[in-house]
This record gives sequence, structure tokens and C-alpha cells, in this order.
Amino acid sequence: MKHRFAVEITKRLPGFTLDVAWTAGDGVAVLFGPSGAGKTLTLQCLAGLIHPDAGRIVVDDRVLFDAAAGVNLPPQRRRVGYVFQGYALFPHLTVAENVGFGLRDRPRAVRDTRVADVIARLDLGGLERRRPSELSGGQRQRVALGRALAIDPALLLLDEPLSALDAPLRRALRDELRSILSGWGTAAVVVTHDFTEAYRLADRIIVYESGRVIQAAPRAELLWQPASEAVARVMGLRNVLHGTVVKAMPDRIQIAWRGHVLEAVNSPTHSYLPQPESPIAFFIRPEYVRLVRKDRSAPDAAHHMNLMRGTVAGEADFGTVWSLRMRLDAAGAPAQGDFDLEVEVPHLVYEILDIEHDRHWEFSIHRGSIHVLPT
Amino acid sequence: MSADAVTALALSIRVALAATLLNALIGIPLAYVLARRAFRGRALVDLLVTLPLVLPPTVTGYYLIVVLGRRGWLGAPVYAVTGWSVAFTWYAAVIAATVMALPLLVRTARAAIESVDRELEKAAFTLGRSEWRTALEVTLPLAKNGIIAGLVLAFARALGEFGATLMLAGNIPGKTATVPLAIYTAVQTGEMGEAVALVLALTLLSCMVLVLAGRLGARAT
Repeated sequence: MKHRFAVEITKRLPGFTLDVAWTAGDGVAVLFGPSGAGKTLTLQCLAGLIHPDAGRIVVDDRVLFDAAAGVNLPPQRRRVGYVFQGYALFPHLTVAENVGFGLRDRPRAVRDTRVADVIARLDLGGLERRRPSELSGGQRQRVALGRALAIDPALLLLDEPLSALDAPLRRALRDELRSILSGWGTAAVVVTHDFTEAYRLADRIIVYESGRVIQAAPRAELLWQPASEAVARVMGLRNVLHGTVVKAMPDRIQIAWRGHVLEAVNSPTHSYLPQPESPIAFFIRPEYVRLVRKDRSAPDAAHHMNLMRGTVAGEADFGTVWSLRMRLDAAGAPAQGDFDLEVEVPHLVYEILDIEHDRHWEFSIHRGSIHVLPT
Repeated sequence: MSADAVTALALSIRVALAATLLNALIGIPLAYVLARRAFRGRALVDLLVTLPLVLPPTVTGYYLIVVLGRRGWLGAPVYAVTGWSVAFTWYAAVIAATVMALPLLVRTARAAIESVDRELEKAAFTLGRSEWRTALEVTLPLAKNGIIAGLVLAFARALGEFGATLMLAGNIPGKTATVPLAIYTAVQTGEMGEAVALVLALTLLSCMVLVLAGRLGARAT
């Protein structure tokens, strides 16, 4: 990956310390993590609105901040576009004046052309003379984007760009935002605490927790190979479980868990080889657990690996899917309170198998669906 | 209304307008700095500006004499060089009214400036604006209604100023005797008709100013 920008900052605040280092290339980098993890603080440091205690910020070979060398460009000279969480549109100015605000030192003709171009590209034609209070949420977002993009920024920062919107609009604008960002080609950093949003917008995801980066990876890698249990928890992954290593090989790992020996695929890119008997964390996506049909022939080892039996201890209807809380037929305390494994089945499957009345099931998990979490 | 009463009314309006202008020049930057800048001595500046609001006007007037009087800290050197003192001139009435009205403007304008979303200012910074231009193009325009309401209040306060004016400017008919002072003189000398005319004129003027302030205040919220 070619680095377009590199960020390395330390900022101590009362009761909180931000200490992060990450790099990103072309496209969209998403800072993902829970509220209060330091994501917005990072954006403000990038924009020059907050002065880090130490570190270095480089964008396209341009040093914006270097504590050791005493470099600290003011926000006015960073050419960093900032889309604020509440958009921060100037309420006393029209759409056209907002978009042109960063261009006031350019000749009038240049400014007018640029404003007209941005307004056309963001589909804001006809709204030039409106005030922000007269716009819909989606239009406001586009004006905020247009205002930041009009200055032709070296880097575009977006702080929770969709959080001000209602859920249906949010989904639509997520896709619109993605196409605007890729269409414009400006390197961007987006802050969000919503994993779906992060995954949809990102080329690269940087996971924040308590002022630190706990993983930085291309989005697909993050989805399938969270680097640690902490990342899995921040991502909101379900069925994060703890077992004991039986045997670890470069391609397979055997894990003892709740009276079973589960076989999992080792990480394809970074093999993880813990000693036998050492504790190990892993996760199983609920939608990847397969119930074994009782009306077919008995399960065979070739098609059904990691076979287990259990009873439905609880269930919840999520509209399109049912979430079943399975309790294994195994001695000892269940792994997750009153159940061992959450299993998700589509509504149709729930009805066909008559799970409402039939509560005891055998199920299997493909070894590729058990993901090891390195410590 | 007598010629003296008309003179007093004209002088009052002239003094109040001049004091309001001075308030705008001093008070708006002061309100901005108090609202947006952290600096050493901010609490002290805030205290000094606010003090005339709670002190008896005669006490404020006394301090003004100590500073600006012919033998005052500033007044004495000025008198030594120019042979002129501001005391007992109409300028003194303007200064007294300005000092008395300043806390009203500064407090109102400061609250209006503080209510402007700081993210708007940050947005202006990232769009290349200096702090100075951000104040002129973003912060002050958005605090406009509160600032105007503060100026109206300052004008009303300047119009009614009595105690500090009496101390620093005296009560010289046609020169420093503004309406409140003229009313006092009229009552003291038993010219009740004159007093009533001035009282009604000042009441009417003050009501108009308050109605105006109320409208601006309603629009600001």
C-alpha cells in the first residue's frame, strides 16, 4: 500500500490519553470504535484545531505537524476539509455562500465557477439561495461536503457524517456518500461508531479503543480476521468464546470447549501457534451455524464437522431472522450465562423445521467458520 | 416645555448616543475577548467591567474623579500639559454614562457570543479564515441580535444616568445637566411643571427603547 498519509500523535487530556499511530493510502480510511475512544480528537488534531503534545502528521509528503521539528501549521494553512458532525453550516449564509466560503480570497470569476461546479456535482442545483434551515438533512450533508470539497482539500475529514439523520435516510445517504467520496477521489478519513457504516464506507478500517489503535487493516481483513478479542468486542461480534488449545498447526487449530474438541482453520495470513493447554479465544458467527435436518440421513463427518447437540434455551424474533440461544448437552456451566451459542436462522428455516415446537437440535459448524482470536 | 428643558433633553440624547457609540467601540471587542479568549486577568477585567452594575453610582463617580479629575491619576498629567480637564465638561457626562452602561452591553453581548456554536468558528478556520475575520464574518453576525439588544439597553441606561454624572460632570445647565439632573434641579427649586414635562419625556423615551429592546430580544431567541 502506498502511504498517502501517516499519523502519529500523543495528546494528554485530563482523564484521557490519546496515543495513536496509523497510516492510510488512497481512498477512505474509517476510524471505528466506541464513543470516547479518541476518534474525533484525532480528526481535530489532523485539522489543526487541537495541538497534540507530541508526534507527526504527514499528508502527501507535506508535514502538517512535527513536534520534534517545531512544525505546526495552523488550520487555515492545512488545506484539510472538515465535515462536522452537525455539519456546522453557517446559518446566516446561503447554500452558495456556504460552499464558496473557503474561496473568498480567489478572484470572483474563479470562485463563482468553482461554486457552480461543486453545486452541480453534488446535485444542489436550484438551492443556491436557500439558507441551511430551509434544507433537508440530506441536502445539508451535501452542502457541508461541498463546502469542504470546494477548497480542493488534500485530505477530507468527516465526523460521524450520518449520525444526524433518521435511519432510512441514513442507509440511502451511506451509499450516496460512498459514491461521492470515490467519485471525488480525495483521500478521506471518516469517524463512525457503527460497524456497518464503517464497513460500507471504508477501504481501510482503523479500530480505536480508549485512545489507542487496536487494529488497522483493509476492511475485509478486519471482518474475517479481527486481531484480538478486544477488536471482536468493539466490532460487536457475537459468540466470542474461550477454550483451551489442544493442538495448533499452521493450517488448523484444535480447541477444547464445553466437552467438545472443535477444529478451526488457522489464520490464512498470520498463523497463530500457541502451546497446547494454553487458553484461546475464538468466535463463531451465529449465521454460520448449521442445524442438522432430522428428515435426512444421519450426519456424516465429511459434511458435518464440529457436531454438537443442544436445546433452544431462549429465542428472539428480529423480523427477518430468528436468534436462537442454544444450550449444549454438556456438563458444566454454559459459556454465555444461560446459553452456550447464539445461532441465527432465517424465518423460512425456522418455519420449515418447526423450531417453535421442536426444541432439541444437532448442529455443525464448518471449521472455516470458527475464527481464532490471537491474544 | 421650557427652552432649558428642551436643551436638557437634546443634551441627554446627545450624551446617550455618544456613550452608546463608545460602548460599541469598547464593549463589543471586550465582550468577544471575554467570551472567546482565555487570558491572565480575565476574571479581573470581568469584575471591573461589571462593578458599576452593583456599586452605587456615586461610588463609581468617585472612582472616576480619582482617575480623571484635575488631580486624578490620568487627569493630573493631562492638566499639567494642556491646562484642560475633562471634569465638568459634557465629555465627562459621556464618560460617566459609558462606564455605567458598559456592563449591560458587555454582559448581553458576551452571552450572545458565547451562544454561537464554536464548531462554526472551527469550520471557518479550516476554510482559511483567521480568527479576526472569523469574528467579523461568523461570530459577530450570528450574535448580532444580542449585541443590538445590549446596545439598546446601554442607550437606555446612559439616558437615565444620574449619580456618576453628577460626580464627574456636575450639574451645569446647558452643559452637563442632562434630563435626570434637570429633573432633580426642577424639583429642588419647586418648578413642578418643568419636572413633570421632563419626567414624562424621559418615561416615554425609555418605554420606546425598552419596547425596541424587547422586539430585538424576541427575534434573537
